Formats: sequence, structure tokens, C-alpha cells
Amino acid sequence: MSEEVKIIERRKIPFGATLIFGFPDVGLVGVIAASYLIDELNLEEVAYLDSKLLPPLIVLHEGLPHSSIRIFADDNILLAISEAPIPVDVIYPIMDALIDWGKNKNVKMMISLSGLPIQDRQDAKELKAFAAASNPEALKIAQDKSIEVLTEGYMVGPQAIMLQRAANAGTPALTLLAQCFFNYPDPEAAAEVLKDLGKITGLKVEVAKLLEKGEEIRLRARDVMRRTQEEMSKTKKGQEYDIPMYVS
Amino acid sequence: MATRRKRSVSEIIDEYFADFDKWAEGFREVITEAPSWNLRNCSIEPLHNMMITPKEVLVTVDLPFTSKSTVKVEPVSGNALEITAKMKRKIRLDDLGIAYCKGEFEKLHSHLLIPVSVNMKKMDVQYKKGILEIHIPRKHQRPT
Repeated sequence: MSEEVKIIERRKIPFGATLIFGFPDVGLVGVIAASYLIDELNLEEVAYLDSKLLPPLIVLHEGLPHSSIRIFADDNILLAISEAPIPVDVIYPIMDALIDWGKNKNVKMMISLSGLPIQDRQDAKELKAFAAASNPEALKIAQDKSIEVLTEGYMVGPQAIMLQRAANAGTPALTLLAQCFFNYPDPEAAAEVLKDLGKITGLKVEVAKLLEKGEEIRLRARDVMRRTQEEMSKTKKGQEYDIPMYVS
Repeated sequence: MATRRKRSVSEIIDEYFADFDKWAEGFREVITEAPSWNLRNCSIEPLHNMMITPKEVLVTVDLPFTSKSTVKVEPVSGNALEITAKMKRKIRLDDLGIAYCKGEFEKLHSHLLIPVSVNMKKMDVQYKKGILEIHIPRKHQRPT
């Protein structure tokens, strides 16, 4: 593990689990989905990330300080969530540390949850979800579950680094992306991505409550969305809209 | 070749002050990072997005917890919009996880400066799934 980024374990970590990432990005899809999973599955905090590379920020819960990046778990799931946007210049060391840690825990698969912004999202009647993978075997898992593959395009942010690093390390990894708003919190998109997560992992996640609480989530998540948008503009997140130029 | 209509002196002055307002607004945001809520007028500032195309300015505003009938969009001084929407119920600060001061909110409120000249009289407003969508034609439309 990098000297600059430490993962401090507070409890026993299960081996051979699935490592899920929910980090702030377009529509806060990953964070909303991950927060909901923590509640629904009663996941316990088992580890947190400590690094001087991160801004001097803690999150207070019931009067006690917590790292903004924490890992929750049960016997089958490890879930890394960040409650604040990750500054663009530290995405690489943070993701490297988390992926190395996951490999040491012998995770069977890594899955990041995110969004795919579409124009006129408010007019969309149904939201589609897509998958991209670190290797052909992982891609086949998604295809076998009838999840559409994001065949071409650009991907920017933590989930992009996760896929690339997992590919380099030979670890099976998937990124699940649901169509979403670019800069408005999107609980409906989070629900879509959770449905596909259920297909891949066998997790039974009932999303009705998430949809019921949608307006409340949109209201509460405004400030995190605003900060996330500031970081996204530094990562040139809008590049995901670009038409790819293929070199075969 | 496209020809451009000559602008009047008053239009040039209006645009100058609109630019100045925009600069001053940005400067204010840099020096004082204000919260996105205001206890004095019991309002929360909603997220918004503005897209300027050659023909129009498209503004969207995320208005959760509101209903269409309470949304008001009012042009102010030709280059700004005042948007308010009453929330379905009052929200207390501690409902939002803020415990260090007390207060409650009853509306979402936003004051948006439009950085180009627009024809407010032809503004079209729609509300879809809690998203307000405002189309305002530009005064000096560019060829597409």
C-alpha cells in the first residue's frame, strides 16, 4: 500500500467478497446507490481511508469524526463510499490504494456504480443502464445478465481508473452506469444501477423505498452535487459526451 | 455572408452592465462562500444549469419537494430571473442534518443572471418531474 494513502481496518475484513465503489460523480448515482445499500443491508463500517492528500475534512456522525472515505461490509460485500468529492489530483493514489487493498483481501470482483449523463433527462420515460468491464470474462458476466454493454466512448473519473487498474492487475471488474442528470442528484438512476447490481451479485435490493425518498434525497444532496460538479469540471468530465476517434 | 445588426448605444450599455454584474457575482462567490440556504427569507437555493445556444438560453432548475402550481418565474430588469417555488412542507435545518443553528425553510429560491441579451416576453416555461425548464429566445440570434 502507498505510504501516502493508508486504509485503517477497524474490524475483521471478509475474504473473497465483492468490492463495490460508490463515489461522487454525475447525478451522484454511485453515492446515492451506495448509501441506500448501507441502510438496506445493514452494512457495518469496517475500515476507513486516511491520507494527507485529501482535503482537511472530516465527516461528523453523532458527534464523532469519520473519514470521508469509508468501507462498509457484511460477509459477502465490501462497499467503499466517499461522502465528499475526491479531488482530481488524488484520484490515482486513492484508487490505487483501494484496488491494492481489495486484491489483498482476495475480492472476487470489483464493481463501481455510476451514471451516464444524457441530454433532456427530464423527458426520459425509462432509464437504461450499461456496463463496461476490465476484461472479456467480466464483460460476459454482464452480457449474460442482459445488461447492455457500453461498447465505445470515453470514461472519466474514479470508475475509469478502477477499470484500468483492475485490467492491469488482472482483477475482474465492472462499471455499471445508468442514464442520469449531469448535475442534479438522480435517485431514479441510482435505483436502475442497483437493479443491475442485483443481477450481477444476486443481492436482493428492493428499490421502492429509494424511489419514495427521491425528492428528499434530491434536496439533501444539493451541496454535495454542487461540490462534485466543481471537481468534475476539473477532470474534464464533459469529455464523456465526446464522439470517440477510433484508431484501429 | 451573415450580416450583423448594429446595436444601439443603450443595448451596448445594457450589455456592459450585464457583463459587470456577472463579473461581480463571480467575484462575490470567490471571496465569500455563502451557504446554499438563507434563513432570513426561509429559502434554499436550488441547483440550476444554464445553456446558451445560438438561438436561445435554456435554464433548468432542480425543484424537489415542490408542485407545479407554486412555481413562479419572474423576469427582473431584462437580464435576470427570479424563481421561487413553495415546498410541499416546511423543512427544518435539523431535518437536513444541520444541528448548530435553528430555522426552517418553506421555499426554493434562485436569482439567475442571464449573460446575453434575451427576449423575456417570449419566455417559455415547463415543469417536468420537479425540473423547471425555461426557454428564452436570444435578442441577437446567431446563425446555426
